[in-house]
Amino acid sequence: MTGTPSPQFRPPGSLNVATALSPYQGPWNARLAAHLLRRAGFGGSPDEIARTAGMPVDAAVEALIRYPKDTGLPGAPEVLDDHYAEERQMLAQAGTRGLDDATVQQIRMQIGKDRQKTNISMISWWLNRMINTRAPLQEKMGLFWHGTFTTSVFQKGITPKEAVDQNWIFRSNALGSARDIAHLVSRDPAMLKYLDNARSNRDHPNENYARELMELFTLGIRNYTEADVRESARAFTGYSVYGPLRGGGFYFNQRQHDDGRKTFLGQSGNFNGDDIVEIIFRQPAAPRWFARKLLNFFVYNDPEPDLVDALAEVIAKNNYQMAPTMSALLRSNVFYSERAYRSLVKSPVEFVVGTYKLFGLTDVSVETLGALNRMGQVPFHPPSVKGWDGGASWLNSQTMLVRENFVNYLVTSQMMMQSSTWLTMGPPPSAKDATDKLVGTILQGDASPVSAAKLEAYLDGADTSALGQLSGENFEERMRGAAYLTMAMPAYQLN
Amino acid sequence: MRRSRFLLGAVSGLTIAANTDSFFAKALAEPVLPGLPGGADDRVLILVNLQGGNDGLNTVVPYGLQQYYRVRPAIGVTPHDVLTLNAQLGLNPEMKSFKAMYDAGNVAIVQGVGYPKPDHSHFRSTEIWQTAAPDRYESTGWLGRYLDSANLPESNLFNALAVAQVLPEALISRKVDVPAIAAIQGYGLSSDKRAGERSAFSSLARDARAPFSSPYLSAVAEIEDHAQRGSEELPKLVAGYKTDAAYPATGIGRSLALAAQIVGSKLGTRVIYVQHGSFDTHAAQKGTQDRLLRELSDALKAFYDDLAAHGNDKRTLTMTFSEFGRRVAENASRGTDHGEAGPMFLIGGGVKGGIYGDHPSLDDLDNGDIKYAVDFRSVYATVVEKWFGRPSTGIIAGNFPTLALLA
Repeated sequence: MTGTPSPQFRPPGSLNVATALSPYQGPWNARLAAHLLRRAGFGGSPDEIARTAGMPVDAAVEALIRYPKDTGLPGAPEVLDDHYAEERQMLAQAGTRGLDDATVQQIRMQIGKDRQKTNISMISWWLNRMINTRAPLQEKMGLFWHGTFTTSVFQKGITPKEAVDQNWIFRSNALGSARDIAHLVSRDPAMLKYLDNARSNRDHPNENYARELMELFTLGIRNYTEADVRESARAFTGYSVYGPLRGGGFYFNQRQHDDGRKTFLGQSGNFNGDDIVEIIFRQPAAPRWFARKLLNFFVYNDPEPDLVDALAEVIAKNNYQMAPTMSALLRSNVFYSERAYRSLVKSPVEFVVGTYKLFGLTDVSVETLGALNRMGQVPFHPPSVKGWDGGASWLNSQTMLVRENFVNYLVTSQMMMQSSTWLTMGPPPSAKDATDKLVGTILQGDASPVSAAKLEAYLDGADTSALGQLSGENFEERMRGAAYLTMAMPAYQLN
Repeated sequence: MRRSRFLLGAVSGLTIAANTDSFFAKALAEPVLPGLPGGADDRVLILVNLQGGNDGLNTVVPYGLQQYYRVRPAIGVTPHDVLTLNAQLGLNPEMKSFKAMYDAGNVAIVQGVGYPKPDHSHFRSTEIWQTAAPDRYESTGWLGRYLDSANLPESNLFNALAVAQVLPEALISRKVDVPAIAAIQGYGLSSDKRAGERSAFSSLARDARAPFSSPYLSAVAEIEDHAQRGSEELPKLVAGYKTDAAYPATGIGRSLALAAQIVGSKLGTRVIYVQHGSFDTHAAQKGTQDRLLRELSDALKAFYDDLAAHGNDKRTLTMTFSEFGRRVAENASRGTDHGEAGPMFLIGGGVKGGIYGDHPSLDDLDNGDIKYAVDFRSVYATVVEKWFGRPSTGIIAGNFPTLALLA
């Protein structure tokens, strides 16, 4: 699978690169406000969209960039401790303790259950933050960094606490410097375990982290040689993690560090891992790498090389600081262009969190986590170090069925009806008015006249023999069904 | 509307009676290459991806080479444990079921398969194996290009299928939309149970005339349409099949059980992709790799028992591949790092069983890695030309000799 979406998914039409990143001065309305909230966050509730549309575009972006430091949300999952460590130890000593097979089996099952409890708790914690936060761009950047500097909890012995600690690196530095993040993950226990650096030593340098740092995190393939991989792997020897008995955490193992001379990307010296990060961020390929990543994530897929270069210049000028970079990008002409509008496929997390927000739901259910898994994206569990491919890779018959069934599950649930007052408030309107409301609120009007007419016919009882026209008797049920059908229109899959 | 009680996707599609009057046409007979035996039109390829880079040296073990034990002091498989193939080679001891298939003459082992200037990155090397393009970036997969060339009926939504959550690049084609189906359970639209919504969905979801343009709009509309139609049909199409083997309760066991059901239901499916792993054994390799090889071996045995019970074993070829083998020398963590060439297996009633090629040298290495002796594109070209009976031109770029390993 390629990390780069196929060229056929670049929007048609041509780019005016000279003005692409200049501030947007065109008309401002609910449609564009919703676009901004979908991209820079996870979509808006009807109220949030109205509020954002009511302020000037600069103020709307400013509110996203200068987010409140304290969101008042829980800082950690409810269940996080490694409380199966004790059981693990019992298993390790099964022989000396004389445990029989049945007991061993029972302990193993208990470990599995406890682990799943923690897993559910931590995934729900982050999703609930995305849904409820007053700082949506912070969580969105968190997801961006998670998909860039990837690790996956439970793999390679990464504990839930280590995964959450890493998650806070991304949240605390959400709009900080990409270079700082690279330094921090180079000393992050989850990362050092995930890419085997914790096991690397001077006699057998493990190349996994050194390679992916360049290939997938900062430069991209063809911007370094195999020799650079070997030399930087030497520089990262000794970047290790304390064992659980010593409380975990980063540990620089001087004895295992190769402090000899290395030649890396054309420079020579007794480099350590921090030097390697600094040299990488002096490469012209680095700002281009982050520019391409940001454009693919926030603007459109397969951005033109000229546009990549233009944003790379902004990134380099701002010394990899994301606050000014994102501020420029979210105010830009290209961001509000028709070419960018609905030009991305919603990721499963965007799809699910956005739908929760639309209906005023605040707490993800276990069923929702299962659905996310089958849509192909669970936070804390990227499928590989490459993160999620995004774009066309989200789309196949299976994932589409799960998306539709997830929406059906929500609209038929009681909790949805309690929270989603905008849907059925007031006396039943005409089918025409109900259609306008649904298409306006859910799709910002992005439905064809033919589909709007079809939806109106559904609301008026087409294909259902018993109940006929919209009335007090069938209003709630019909509105639920119509909300589902509105979200079945292709526009709802697009960001 | 009643509150739906399903855990997402728990539809009861499998209980629907078999419907032979579906709109799915049987695959059209296609011309085969001159000189080839007929019947290439109902042949199936099962592609098994061993994800993460399987260590070939501990799969097909060169126990007769002294050097093997010098480079694998901690994780080498002892001569006493291997399942002997000949005086030099043996299979990993966990592959007993697979050995039985080998002994029955249904397994071809191709040794030392790889490509020039091998890439050590999982992602790039996986992409290379999936696209059959080591020297450039290709947006279609090698099997996607085969599907495009094979004149398959457009009305058939199951010309190929991946038992996976995400469509693998090998099956990305220009013309044929390949569904990825993790399991039949859950492959259905809950709202289809309500007549009004079923019909409204079918017109709304495929409406690509929106008041905005998006490069993804038509793709979304098409996939929504396929999702509804395909999910309505597939459970009916495969419901008549009776599984006739004891599959192990593992992921690969379930995947191959579904593959056998689809093969046996004769939907005109040409390619089924399944995956197994992860074989990325940088540390403590033995436990992980042994378990994965045992699961693979037992699942393949059940698969062929099932196929044979329905007379489908001769028309079903299974091929394994992995993005690379692993370093010859073990590392300090009793694991192995990313390497280069490795063995491939071709399995089925249509193969000429045996070992193809010599075991690669463990002394003459490429910077610590096994040098390839057979280009993987030779094996792919063999499948395209000798199994599917299509010219490989336009599917596999370059000239690669085919191998005489199919009966």
